[in-house]
Amino acid sequence: MKIVQVKCPSCNQAIMMKEKDKLFYCDKCNVMHIREGGAPEKVDFEIAEFSPKAQGEKVYMPFWRLYTTFIVRSKNVEGGTIFKMSQWLKGGSDSGNMFIYIPAAELDAGTFRKFSTMFTGAAPRYPTRLNFNNVRRLPGTLPKQEAAQLADFVVVTMEAEQPGVLQKLDYSLTVNDTKLVYLPFVMTPQGPMSAL
Amino acid sequence: MASIKCPKCAAPVPFDTGVKFVKCPYCSSLVYIDRTGAGFYYAIPFMVNENDAVGTFRRWAAGSTKAKDLDKLAQLAGVKKKYFPVYMFKRDVNGVEQVFIETAGSTTLPGLHNLKVPAGDLKVYDATFDVGGAELIKPDIEMTPYLNSLPGKPKEQALVFFPIWTIDYVFNQKKYGAVVDASSGEVFSSEFPTRSSNAYMAVAGAGFVAFIGEGLLATSMLIPAIALMAVTVVAVFYVGLQVARRM
Amino acid sequence: MSDGISVGLNCPACGGAISMAEGENVVLCQYCSSVLAAEGDQGVHTVAFKNKTLKDAAMGASQHWWTHGLKARDLKTTGKIVESYPIYLPFWKTTTRVAGWVCGYEERRHTDQKGNVTVERIPKEVMVLQDFTFSEIACDPGDLGIRTMKNFMGETTFANFEEIPTFESTTSKDAAATRGLNDSLAKARANAHVPQVTLDTLKAFNKGLTLIYYPVWVVRYNYRDRMYMDTVDGVTGQVLSGRAPGDPLFQSLAMTGGTSVGGLIAAAGIIYAQSASDMRIALGAVAVGAIILFLTYRFFRHGSEIIQGEFKEKKSIASALKQVQQVGKALEGLR
Repeated sequence: MKIVQVKCPSCNQAIMMKEKDKLFYCDKCNVMHIREGGAPEKVDFEIAEFSPKAQGEKVYMPFWRLYTTFIVRSKNVEGGTIFKMSQWLKGGSDSGNMFIYIPAAELDAGTFRKFSTMFTGAAPRYPTRLNFNNVRRLPGTLPKQEAAQLADFVVVTMEAEQPGVLQKLDYSLTVNDTKLVYLPFVMTPQGPMSAL
Repeated sequence: MASIKCPKCAAPVPFDTGVKFVKCPYCSSLVYIDRTGAGFYYAIPFMVNENDAVGTFRRWAAGSTKAKDLDKLAQLAGVKKKYFPVYMFKRDVNGVEQVFIETAGSTTLPGLHNLKVPAGDLKVYDATFDVGGAELIKPDIEMTPYLNSLPGKPKEQALVFFPIWTIDYVFNQKKYGAVVDASSGEVFSSEFPTRSSNAYMAVAGAGFVAFIGEGLLATSMLIPAIALMAVTVVAVFYVGLQVARRM
Repeated sequence: MSDGISVGLNCPACGGAISMAEGENVVLCQYCSSVLAAEGDQGVHTVAFKNKTLKDAAMGASQHWWTHGLKARDLKTTGKIVESYPIYLPFWKTTTRVAGWVCGYEERRHTDQKGNVTVERIPKEVMVLQDFTFSEIACDPGDLGIRTMKNFMGETTFANFEEIPTFESTTSKDAAATRGLNDSLAKARANAHVPQVTLDTLKAFNKGLTLIYYPVWVVRYNYRDRMYMDTVDGVTGQVLSGRAPGDPLFQSLAMTGGTSVGGLIAAAGIIYAQSASDMRIALGAVAVGAIILFLTYRFFRHGSEIIQGEFKEKKSIASALKQVQQVGKALEGLR
């Protein structure tokens, strides 16, 4: 075993952090990187601006935003009206491209489901900013590879939550691009609330 | 306890077998124990003494599949305290940890079909280790050929001596052997005098058939049938007790 | 011992000593707050539970256990504890998150008054997003009768580590993690309760692997020159597993009960079948009688030793019922 100092793969500056996080952020050159396979890998990321109305303890929560192509080859729903994927898929058919949001922070199963379906169902719109403005970042624990595997859970969930009982869904999902997105939240007694 | 040299202050740092990190008691630096390149010798201490081993053997011999009263009638012909060697390799095969247990010698243990490292407190086996009078079965196969032929990269390799009691016994003029693992108390045996199920089956079968017959008889002759049933109950109970009793 | 196997752990930036635990791969230097990464084999996150059971309590629990169940009646007067000592047993504990959907249907049969059978098909879609825990012993279980952890709550400390013999882990952590994944997938599928599955998108993710050292008391006792053993949980004080002598009286009573009840049920069935002229009733009653006979026979044959816990040879009720089912299926074929 070897201990190495984590340095920014772009400017070679040492990374400093107060909290343990698997997403390494260099505040000198504004580069984010991960080390899932051991070697550093730069990650494309963006930071959303807080709503001016946001009150309370502010935090940034990391999400993996996957740009995916989703193709439904066949499906079968019992009862209810057959829901068309086209209502929320761009492209007008059962297939198309979409953004899937997977929380990268440590969340319980219920909160994970809530945030992933909420943002995937209605893609958030926000102005971006260039730094974290000293707001605390929740540590990222979910690896990028796992996010890709969880993507189809989110898609099937959105499909199954519509009227009728899903019986069969033959589909393929390809991840074209992955971006790390920091979304603004405020901590409340009921848990984190979106502050977009 | 075994020790390594602190890379910072050169003091001996004692360490236990399972750990990867150990703190130097003199300079408090954290030391990582790299086992990838070294071969270790481990031994598991005896937790079962001779009396307990014989008692464990007797409990095993009293089991339902062993010959009736084997625990009482088996004559001990020799109880020996031994250390049996086995190789244990931990390897990294394409990022996945795998454990390989390999034979270290030509001696085999009867009844131990799959070689294993029995549960126990692995201690580093060196000059300070007290074998407690046990005969050490020397490995006659080297570790190196395994290192070259096993898949993956080495993580840890060790020769483990595990403690056993070998028990030889005679039953009906025939010699048998059993091995008691002196760490967890498991008994191994390849061949032992067995007990037939015939007597048990006879009681169960005869009782069942008798009660069916008596039940059918009860429709025509109630009183004699009940009397017969009472007799059968007593008979099954008594014969069953004799069959099950083993002293 | 040989040199060259000890590696000093210092911060490569400031040279300060690092404090890190096994299984950590990201560490913050406490002096210069540099972020450090461990590369290569950094071990597994390890915890040890505090041994809260005292020797007397462990022995008391064992003696209490002797008086329960169908053990030898004279065990509490004849049995004598020879020794009792605590050990630390290693367990792999994995936490797994299962996410996905199980879709399909359940068929229900309804018979109306005219005897017409209609099959109702109830479609089902079940979401699974749940964390599962799996544990297995990390060494050979030998004759301890313990394979999984029964309790995950307790104070964790390494304070007892020096005085209690520690059984080392000798199985592969990755093999345990794989079994943890498969086990949680199977549990998730079973929990979904979808009898006929048409779509299954379940995936399992490893959330964590821990090596837990759990304190267990080994109690050895003597009964009529034979040595028996039981184990007591060092945290909860409960008997976990053990072997105890049986009693021929109970074996014989079981057989008497089994033959009489089984035989009379069979006879009653035959008599009723003759009056109703339906042979199926007779066959069914004989089968029920035979099952009762079989279950009591097993105890009659092997009840000379009572075992509790996860032993190799333990024939559980579940496996007995499976055998009964197989017999039942064979009988069904005869009809």
